[in-house]
Amino acid sequence: MSALITETPVEPLPETSSPATSVQRVPLEPPELEAIYEEHSRPIFYLALRILGDPTQAEDATHDVFLKAYRKLGEFKGNSSIRTWLYRITINHCQNLLQTWHRRNIHGTDDETFWERAVGPGDSPLRVLETKELGQRIQKSLDALPEGYRLLLLLVADEKLSYDEVGALTNQSSDAVRGKLHRARKTFAAAFHQTA
Amino acid sequence: MSQPTSRLNQRQREEAISQQQSAQNTAALEFAAAEEMLRHDAGQIPVPPTVAERLQKSVASEPAPPKSWWRRLLKS
Repeated sequence: MSALITETPVEPLPETSSPATSVQRVPLEPPELEAIYEEHSRPIFYLALRILGDPTQAEDATHDVFLKAYRKLGEFKGNSSIRTWLYRITINHCQNLLQTWHRRNIHGTDDETFWERAVGPGDSPLRVLETKELGQRIQKSLDALPEGYRLLLLLVADEKLSYDEVGALTNQSSDAVRGKLHRARKTFAAAFHQTA
Repeated sequence: MSQPTSRLNQRQREEAISQQQSAQNTAALEFAAAEEMLRHDAGQIPVPPTVAERLQKSVASEPAPPKSWWRRLLKS
């Protein structure tokens, strides 16, 4: 495998990343479910994929999350956004799966200080060759993080969520989110560079 | 004597040009923070269409939910 970290001149990231090709599919019924699925299925699938680390299991989880949402929509009080509500269902669902599989002992560590002590480039820019392997390296890096950091980064990556909403989803204040985010970034960068 | 030196210089120039072109062809991305990289990654990954197909089948076998929630939901 060729080295992925490069010191060659770096092209800045385009303003908008090229989206994945949209997939043609038959619209869901009822139309309201289609509207919700169309708007939120991608971030839900991505969150499940990166928490579980397996595309097939992420597909199952995404199906289960939207089915649960469909069943429980009558209980939705509107106290949060639909996105936040769906994320909460996803997080609970995935955490239950992980507990069932006892995967917590296989992937990652709860010792947050371990990665904080790791030698790494800290907040330096993360440079990579554009490659299919990027996803694999990201997955390895996330798997190596403490669960709290992993979830925090995945949620903050969604620009539609405020720090308050991220805090609500991770059971902490928005100030705590800001404080932990810096350490999470640093820890991810160290883990990412170790995947090169 | 001058001919071999000239040939060597030409080869060195060609190698230098080749390396330069190779470096220019190396597309790379730079991310300032982890979440920026994750955002880019998320943008590259579509939801497999089989998820919607399975969901439609599952929903079809469910009892119809109360109608009132749709209105409340779309207002939020």
